[in-house]
Amino acid sequence: MITVTNFSKQYKGFTAVKDLSFSVEPGQILGLLGPNGAGKTTTLRTLCGIIPPTSGRLLIAGHDIAEAPIAAKQNIGYIPDDPRLFDTMTVWEHLAFTAAAYKVADFEESAEALLMSFELTHKRDTLVHNLSRGMRQKVAIACAFLHDPKVILFDEPLTGLDPQGIRGIKQAIRERAQAGAAIIISSHLLSLFEDLCTHIMVLNLGECRLFGTMGSVLSEFGQNDDSSALEEAYFTITQNKEMDQA
Amino acid sequence: MDQALFRLLMMRMRGGFRLRLMQLTSLRGLLFFLAFFGIIWLLVATSGASSDMGAMSDAALNRQTLSAQISTFMPISMLAMSLLTVALTTGPTFHFSPAEINFLYTGPFHRRDLIIYKFSAYVAGATLSSALIAVLAQGQTGSALSAFFASLLTIIFVQLNSAVIVMAAQTLEGSRLARIRYPVIVLFFAAAAASIVYAWTVPDRSLFDLLSAFRHSWIGTIILIPYIVFAELFVSSSLPQQAFWACIALLINTALLRAIIVLDARTTDRALSENARASNRWERVKQGGSYWATQRAEVRSIRRSPTWGGLGPIAWRQALNVARNSLKVVVVFVGIATCAGPLVAAVGIPLSDPRVLTVIYTFFGFILPRTLVCDFRGDLSRMEIYKTLPIAPWRICAGQLVVQVLVTYVIALPLIVSIIVFEKGSVTSGALVLAAFALPLIVLIYTVENTIHLLFPKKLVPMGRADFEFLGRSLVEFIAKTIVVLAAAAASAAVGYFTLTAFGTSLALPVLASWITLTLIVLLTVVMMQYAFRRFAMAETVD
Repeated sequence: MITVTNFSKQYKGFTAVKDLSFSVEPGQILGLLGPNGAGKTTTLRTLCGIIPPTSGRLLIAGHDIAEAPIAAKQNIGYIPDDPRLFDTMTVWEHLAFTAAAYKVADFEESAEALLMSFELTHKRDTLVHNLSRGMRQKVAIACAFLHDPKVILFDEPLTGLDPQGIRGIKQAIRERAQAGAAIIISSHLLSLFEDLCTHIMVLNLGECRLFGTMGSVLSEFGQNDDSSALEEAYFTITQNKEMDQA
Repeated sequence: MDQALFRLLMMRMRGGFRLRLMQLTSLRGLLFFLAFFGIIWLLVATSGASSDMGAMSDAALNRQTLSAQISTFMPISMLAMSLLTVALTTGPTFHFSPAEINFLYTGPFHRRDLIIYKFSAYVAGATLSSALIAVLAQGQTGSALSAFFASLLTIIFVQLNSAVIVMAAQTLEGSRLARIRYPVIVLFFAAAAASIVYAWTVPDRSLFDLLSAFRHSWIGTIILIPYIVFAELFVSSSLPQQAFWACIALLINTALLRAIIVLDARTTDRALSENARASNRWERVKQGGSYWATQRAEVRSIRRSPTWGGLGPIAWRQALNVARNSLKVVVVFVGIATCAGPLVAAVGIPLSDPRVLTVIYTFFGFILPRTLVCDFRGDLSRMEIYKTLPIAPWRICAGQLVVQVLVTYVIALPLIVSIIVFEKGSVTSGALVLAAFALPLIVLIYTVENTIHLLFPKKLVPMGRADFEFLGRSLVEFIAKTIVVLAAAAASAAVGYFTLTAFGTSLALPVLASWITLTLIVLLTVVMMQYAFRRFAMAETVD
């Protein structure tokens, strides 16, 4: 569903991502892990067509994001870390806008169901600038789910959410994966990956340091009394690199 | 003022100065800075040269005439501004930012100290504005120093006077006196409308004659007394005279500041809520919204958005933006446009006069695009959304332009109609031609505006009063846009002229050829805009 081959991205001489290759199949949830500036957000933003790749191929449901952007984007749902909504539109109007943009014919029923599942029904006619950050995040996720995308990209999906909201979003992500969507989550919350992800990729300084199934990572790094296996893997990989550089 | 507040003020001024210096360290910042001051210098040099070209007696005569005009009309303009402040009565009198409220409201400071701190910050900003005005106005006032002091005292007066009026209105809110506010405003506007109609119907009396008569009547003098002081300050010809009027102006400003400190105790709660409201509004202005946007939390949702091949949702979003963000602005501009015809007729200047044409072009090419924003320029922070949509770039661009162009056209049409109705010797066919050409010209203005914005993204509001990079950039953009519009108009006119000389018996064919040429040029600029949108990459172009 998502196939990335030799993807690199450079900004005016600075390499944000270097020669990245991986794939995510339907039903899989890939966790992108790495310190700040590792290239996680750049990878997600390139995958959904916000920024062009410098080199490499990025296929979404068989469509190259650089060569056939419209067909590729039709299959993507993207939730940025800081959802910027249209402040003069209500929650419902955001769903109506998304339905028209993605050509979803009879969206009302799905929209109602999404509002209900994210506990936004009573906020239907609220102008979004009056919503809390967590609520805005929920609106962005509802919009991203409306056209039933085959690929869903989350950048820090749990920021600003209350415990109830976190549980709801985790459940929604699981359900989407079970329904056959390929999902990538970028986050700093290791517990989120342990709860949800089937695969893990650790990025550092734009390069892939580790890519594998959650099971293989857990078995490779084991678990001690102080920290989880994923935490162990993360610090081992990122600190080794820093020590090498030093 | 409290020592800590004084220190804060100094540090903030130093920070502002450092920021300007940092702007100069980049090539772009330096170029826009030079462009801004280059244009100012050009304006000063041109006005100096034009006054040198005439005979000395002519220059003296011009200055005398100008002084008479300032003396007559400046007090009236200042009164009108004050009345407008009463009509709007919105926003805090002294705006404290959220950071200032968090740090200073909770600090060990008296309210009086906070007011004086804010007033001092305002005076510092006004000093800079006055220095700029002084450079431009020194020819009229005699010396740069006198122009500077006159401007400074007047700008401070305008701020203090507005603050006192607003605070007095807030203090009186809920009382019987507050109820007469709107009837008084209606009465004033009725009187203004009656004066315009009278000036229009009586051939030998223009609107300016009526205003002049009012200013020099005994009742006009009594009403305008505080404002006359500042007009006299501008037109004083000798130093003693200037010192005399400056002292009176200083006394008026001190009295107003004292009144503000007294009134502030009665309006503290209101000031806090108004500050929060103003901060929210400025945040929205920075995002491309309007200062007058709806304050409501909930509205009735529109159930569906049109598709129109991908163009619909974008246009729909912008239509909602105008309806909820800028409707009041549109209504005001339609009102101004409708009044333009009678006003021009009352003043007695024909439409073909270059001054009228310049004002109209400046309005549509500079003021309106900066005041009414419902296209890419207001969506800089939301470009990610557009980039992820499965819609072709040209459709997104067209969708962004539709509402902006239509709203501007809705403002242009009453202007055309009012001018044609009130202009002597005009014909309906002329109005139709103007209406036909207005549409592609408006598309051209906004396509160029958006293309420049997409290629060189910028913030919508300046960073403080002395953001010379912002000012320079605005002027350079306006000049670039004017060059494109003039080139398109010239090409269109040339094709029309060629058609007339080659085939012409009637004007219909040349006009049509001219219009088609202009439309084709506009389509080319839309292609350019599409290129700019495709090229736009958030992470690479936004700091």
